[in-house]
Amino acid sequence: MTRTGKTALYGALLLVGLLMVAPLVWLVGQSLTAEQAAFDVPPKWVPDPFTFDNFGEVPGLIPFGRMAWNSLQVAVISTAGSLLVSVLAAYAFSRLSFRGRDGIFLLMLSALMVPVQMTVIPVFVLMRNLGLVDSLPALWLPALINVFSIFFFRQYFNTIPRELDEAARIDGAGHLWILFRMIVPLSGPAIAAMTILTFELSWNNYFGPLIFLSTPEHMTLPIGLVTLQNGQGGSSVVVFAAITAVVLPVLAVFLIFQRSFVTSIASAGLRG
Amino acid sequence: MTTVAPLRTPAAAAPAAGVARTKRRDWAGYAFLSPALLLFLVFILGPFLAAIVLAFFSWDMLTPATFNGVGNFTEMFSDPLLYKALANTFVFALASVVSHVAGGLLLALAVNKVMSRVLSYFVRTALFFPFVISWAAVALLWKYVLDPTFGIFTYYFDKIGFQAPGWFTDPAWALPAIIGIDWWHTIGFTFVIMLAGLQTVPQQLVEAARVDGASPRQIFWYVTIPMMSPTIFFASVITFIGAFQIFDPVQIITPQGGPDDSTVTVVMYLYQKGFESFQVGYASAVSLLVFVVMMAVTMLQFWGSRKWVHQQ
Repeated sequence: MTRTGKTALYGALLLVGLLMVAPLVWLVGQSLTAEQAAFDVPPKWVPDPFTFDNFGEVPGLIPFGRMAWNSLQVAVISTAGSLLVSVLAAYAFSRLSFRGRDGIFLLMLSALMVPVQMTVIPVFVLMRNLGLVDSLPALWLPALINVFSIFFFRQYFNTIPRELDEAARIDGAGHLWILFRMIVPLSGPAIAAMTILTFELSWNNYFGPLIFLSTPEHMTLPIGLVTLQNGQGGSSVVVFAAITAVVLPVLAVFLIFQRSFVTSIASAGLRG
Repeated sequence: MTTVAPLRTPAAAAPAAGVARTKRRDWAGYAFLSPALLLFLVFILGPFLAAIVLAFFSWDMLTPATFNGVGNFTEMFSDPLLYKALANTFVFALASVVSHVAGGLLLALAVNKVMSRVLSYFVRTALFFPFVISWAAVALLWKYVLDPTFGIFTYYFDKIGFQAPGWFTDPAWALPAIIGIDWWHTIGFTFVIMLAGLQTVPQQLVEAARVDGASPRQIFWYVTIPMMSPTIFFASVITFIGAFQIFDPVQIITPQGGPDDSTVTVVMYLYQKGFESFQVGYASAVSLLVFVVMMAVTMLQFWGSRKWVHQQ
């Protein structure tokens, strides 16, 4: 590459990067600006006058702590539960033989094509009959079945040599031992990838909570944010403070786990 | 498990005919599969079949459902708003696939050339940042960014000599604005997939082409692109499936469907019918249509891919 070509490439990429983060920088900056000075034209990139007051006003408008706790509960239960269900099923598909196995596997795989919007109406009716509408189980119960995760683990398990199973079985090990003491520990990267992906999807889910939740105390953060902006009384800076409070921890966690996060997306992509 | 099975065949291979399979082995398989299978029946297969049945009924979720024959479907075919929603969704999906695949590929190629670790890290992080943020936060933020009076986008757009349109009041610009916001939110995903795909292009092949005197342009079109074609194909299928179901940003930014219904998408329409006006049967019929269209386009993509995707 020529010197000018290199400069142009680096300059262009730097510009793209800056443009991508600009809205986020503006978001954080405004949320830290005193209300009377926020959203000035021309825009200010450094908060002036600087204040944390906007954040203090959020809990008066929506039960923010409660919503964060709800989000966390749903994400943790969905992730842990679907991981357990998936590795059990993946072990059956990868290591056990039983009548109908390949047929059931194909049936489940084809369900990947069914959009969630198609099943949501009957699931809503089901939840209503079970009395679970406007409660957190309405969100995490359907999330326990994750066909992509089953498929992903089955593919990964298939790469683990079967000779290891044979050896363990000759030593008298049962299926549960083989799965949880041998195969799962050998599947670290796959487990990490699915944990990150499932948690992220649940944490950011908007459609589910919109359908199933109606009282603020039962809401998760994404739907809570939207209620805040639709509600009366909150000024725009307070909405910005709430968005910042939702976004910053996620970005911080992302920066810490960036490598495994990006690897997991790539591996899920290439495998899928 | 105390019985030692006589030399088990790998489970992936079909068991040879005549090999006796003990009941016990069947039982273990069903036991491990049962939680997933039960949940699958209750939350996916059952509701899927129920939605198909509901498509032939009229139901408001309160009074008993009445059989409606193909009434919902005939109503669908003469529903102008549904046509509008379908057109919007196709425009959105097409623009989304093209801009994501082209943008993701170009960015991946560019970042792959960068020697500076700092710059490479910054760009990769900046591109991926928006993807980890919830759509709710993204949509609300962009509503402000594009605000006609105090939005930063409006301000700087004006500065460089353009007149920013009223993004969500002008029917011509509401959908393009959503397309842009969606690009900002999800380009990181496509970029990462492309970057990973780029690492699978064999360097010997690139070297060999170079030694044979191929220009960078020729290497790009005759080596990189064919070797990347499975990744490009995967990215376009997955982007299409996601784009066709677009809902969150349109619902949050334009809950009424935008000026002249310019941002109504099929899933948003389905949501309005099912959960706002409680025409459950009709909404189910629309959901069946979404499913059929998605299936058809994906199969078309797979069929077309045989002509251009490089098989290894």
